[in-house]
Amino acid sequence: MKYIHKPNYYFLFITISINMKKKMQHLFLSGLLLFGLINLGFSQTENPESWIQFRGHYRAGLSTDKIAQTDWLTKKPELIWKKEIGSGFSELIISDGIIYTMESEQIDSVTGSEFLIAFDDATGKELWKTKVDSLFIDIDGWGNGPRATPTIDQNNIYSFSGNGKLTAHSKKKGKILWQVDFVKEFGSTCPRWGFSSSPLLVDDVLVMEVGGTEERAFMAFNKKNGQIIWSKAKGDASYNSPLLATIEGQQQIIFANRNILYSFNSKGDTLWTYKMPFAAPMAMPVLIEPNKLFVSAIRPTGYFVVEIKNNVATKVLNGGNMQNDFNSCSYYNGHLYGFHVAALRCISVETGETKWTKRGYGKGSLILVDDKLLVLSDKGKLILVEAKPDAFEEKGFIQTISGKSWTAPSFYNGKIYVRNLTEMACYKLN
Amino acid sequence: MKRIKNTIFFIIILLSVSPIINAQTVEDIIAKHIKAHGGEKNWEAIESMNIKGKFTAFSIEKDFFSIKTQNGSYYSERHLGKHYVKEAFNGKTGWTIDPWQEILFPRDLNKTEINVFCQKAEFFTPFYKYKEKGHKVELLGEQKEEGVDVYLIKLTRANGNIEKWFLNSKTYLEFKYESLWVDFAFPSPGQSFFDDFRTINGVVIPFYVERTFSQRSRIKQIESIEFNTQIDESLFEIAKSKEIKKLAFLYGNWDVKVEVWTGRGGWYPLGSTVSNIKFEATNMLQEKINYDRIMPQAKIINYSYNSSTKKYRLAVFNNFSSTIEVFEGNFDGNDFFADNVSISYGEAESKTVFSQISISEIESNSFIMEIKQSKDGGKTWNASDKFSYKKKE
Repeated sequence: MKYIHKPNYYFLFITISINMKKKMQHLFLSGLLLFGLINLGFSQTENPESWIQFRGHYRAGLSTDKIAQTDWLTKKPELIWKKEIGSGFSELIISDGIIYTMESEQIDSVTGSEFLIAFDDATGKELWKTKVDSLFIDIDGWGNGPRATPTIDQNNIYSFSGNGKLTAHSKKKGKILWQVDFVKEFGSTCPRWGFSSSPLLVDDVLVMEVGGTEERAFMAFNKKNGQIIWSKAKGDASYNSPLLATIEGQQQIIFANRNILYSFNSKGDTLWTYKMPFAAPMAMPVLIEPNKLFVSAIRPTGYFVVEIKNNVATKVLNGGNMQNDFNSCSYYNGHLYGFHVAALRCISVETGETKWTKRGYGKGSLILVDDKLLVLSDKGKLILVEAKPDAFEEKGFIQTISGKSWTAPSFYNGKIYVRNLTEMACYKLN
Repeated sequence: MKRIKNTIFFIIILLSVSPIINAQTVEDIIAKHIKAHGGEKNWEAIESMNIKGKFTAFSIEKDFFSIKTQNGSYYSERHLGKHYVKEAFNGKTGWTIDPWQEILFPRDLNKTEINVFCQKAEFFTPFYKYKEKGHKVELLGEQKEEGVDVYLIKLTRANGNIEKWFLNSKTYLEFKYESLWVDFAFPSPGQSFFDDFRTINGVVIPFYVERTFSQRSRIKQIESIEFNTQIDESLFEIAKSKEIKKLAFLYGNWDVKVEVWTGRGGWYPLGSTVSNIKFEATNMLQEKINYDRIMPQAKIINYSYNSSTKKYRLAVFNNFSSTIEVFEGNFDGNDFFADNVSISYGEAESKTVFSQISISEIESNSFIMEIKQSKDGGKTWNASDKFSYKKKE
């Protein structure tokens, strides 16, 4: 697998177009827009053929792949395999024909273990599993086990347990290379529903929301040995995962913690901060190219959009008509698609107007593949929906897994992968 | 030409007044709403509904059942995440067992909950006989709501609570309503959505109801409805807590023989009195007893169960001395023991003599209560008072 760093096409375009004549500019503009659309303007270091971290490519809940089978009303997608899995909320990540995720095994009401586990993509057969920590037990009964999704690079996998252990594993049988215990080493307090923030890789640095004492809310670790590179800010461990985005030509690591939205560069320097109208959003910030961020929480204040100019964040839109709980929105062509409390909804990011609402999927999740939404209801029903603002248009559905399904699906190589606390399944869409 | 002009003028006038001609009053809309639900006559024939189906909370779907009566009573049992919740309402007051609030016994509803239970108990629509119920209505206009054309009606209930109802302008059935709901006993704005209307025995009922309030989402999907079944009215009365029910043998009117332990070593009779013990609340039995022990003793004893310490608690108020003593203890099904050794509160701080209350020899119409005292912090106990209870004929 090859990791390619893409240049930021928008800034390249602006620079070149200034020096061109009008006709040429139009031609160049059309070409670049087309290219930009294909690439969706994201400028991060990932191979779009794989789904290697939480929310997949660019942590945006999208794939630039295409779905060949777009009419499920007449022909349902083919089940490739379905199998049992231990309790956990981690997404399934897939690379080079192997699925990695986390699960758990409970021994009695108070003990058990959490594991990093690998499956063969083609058959679902378990390849290996490695114990990473003791079991996180959810006192409210939402579900035990790990919450965060591992992230992978060429050689290694980085997992984060529900009790707060960050672990680097070799891809060969998951052998543990190093481990850091956030509670013991940084004084982090385990959130009521467990450590949930998914590890973010920025080049050779692993960036984490730690929630430690002494200005160690956010920390960066050397991915080779776990040594601390930088630590910043005061804050608790929350349920939010950081976003990596390129805005105004610079790589920015975005954290939403307590009631502050932070931006750091890869060295840990603060680029800007913004005081949010709510505290502790669980859904991830969403990048709206080229320089806006959407952040939503399940609060009456709903969401806000900030525009970043010269490292200053200015609110350009807010509203109460998109209140994301634990699953995030996906952005496509000027619109956000996501779950407003428990209703699937499309809103304009220009005006904030609600374009359509569809009820009946509970607190589900979704990803965007090409111009289609793959919506997973909170009871495991997978629905194919057109990603368009005009009207809700369903293209069919399949019942994939049964029971409470709060983990968003993953997409890789024409296949959709879903899991919940007891089952996982793979369906062929191409 | 003049004729054409007149015709055009007439058409313009007609068009301009047509909205007025077509405009419906709120009474028209409500009449069509009732008709859409099957009409008054069909609903009048229904005294009660026994409803079964699936209830989804926290994305977990489980069975539920509820009972509604024409006179506004409501009873329901359902799973709410990991807990099982019971709730009842008699049209005015009600009770719930909701372990999410860490109270495991039935408790009375607060004001916010009573408002919500009024809504839950709604037989089919608040607009049915709304004037008789003392509600007021006002048509606020027409609009689109989530892509559906609706009439917006403001409903002011007899209790003063205001709701906004959105009736589908094509079907006249409810699309949604907005009201004050309740979350962990606190008020929270809520929305209720209705779908999957089905005709059953001539009446039209939404088989799908979705409620959202704060960050919560609840879905009720009806699977079956039985009409006019026999209803056990005792369901609506507040139930006793499971633990306090174990002390039900105390309930009743009693003749009581009172004795004191003498220094010579024997019980000395002080006479007899009467005691009345009754359930005063879901988790409390109360005894009233008067007797002379040198000075007159007028005692009110509250027996309750403390679910956090998992112990029975007795609060003894002596009306003569105006003192309160608190005891905690256990009941193993045969003998009851409670003392004030580990009780800490104002008057108990400087205590050097501790007391123990025991109940033993429990029969269907009698029991013995003894009071012992300790001067060594509860290591040894000495007999003090004895009360022999015999149920009055």
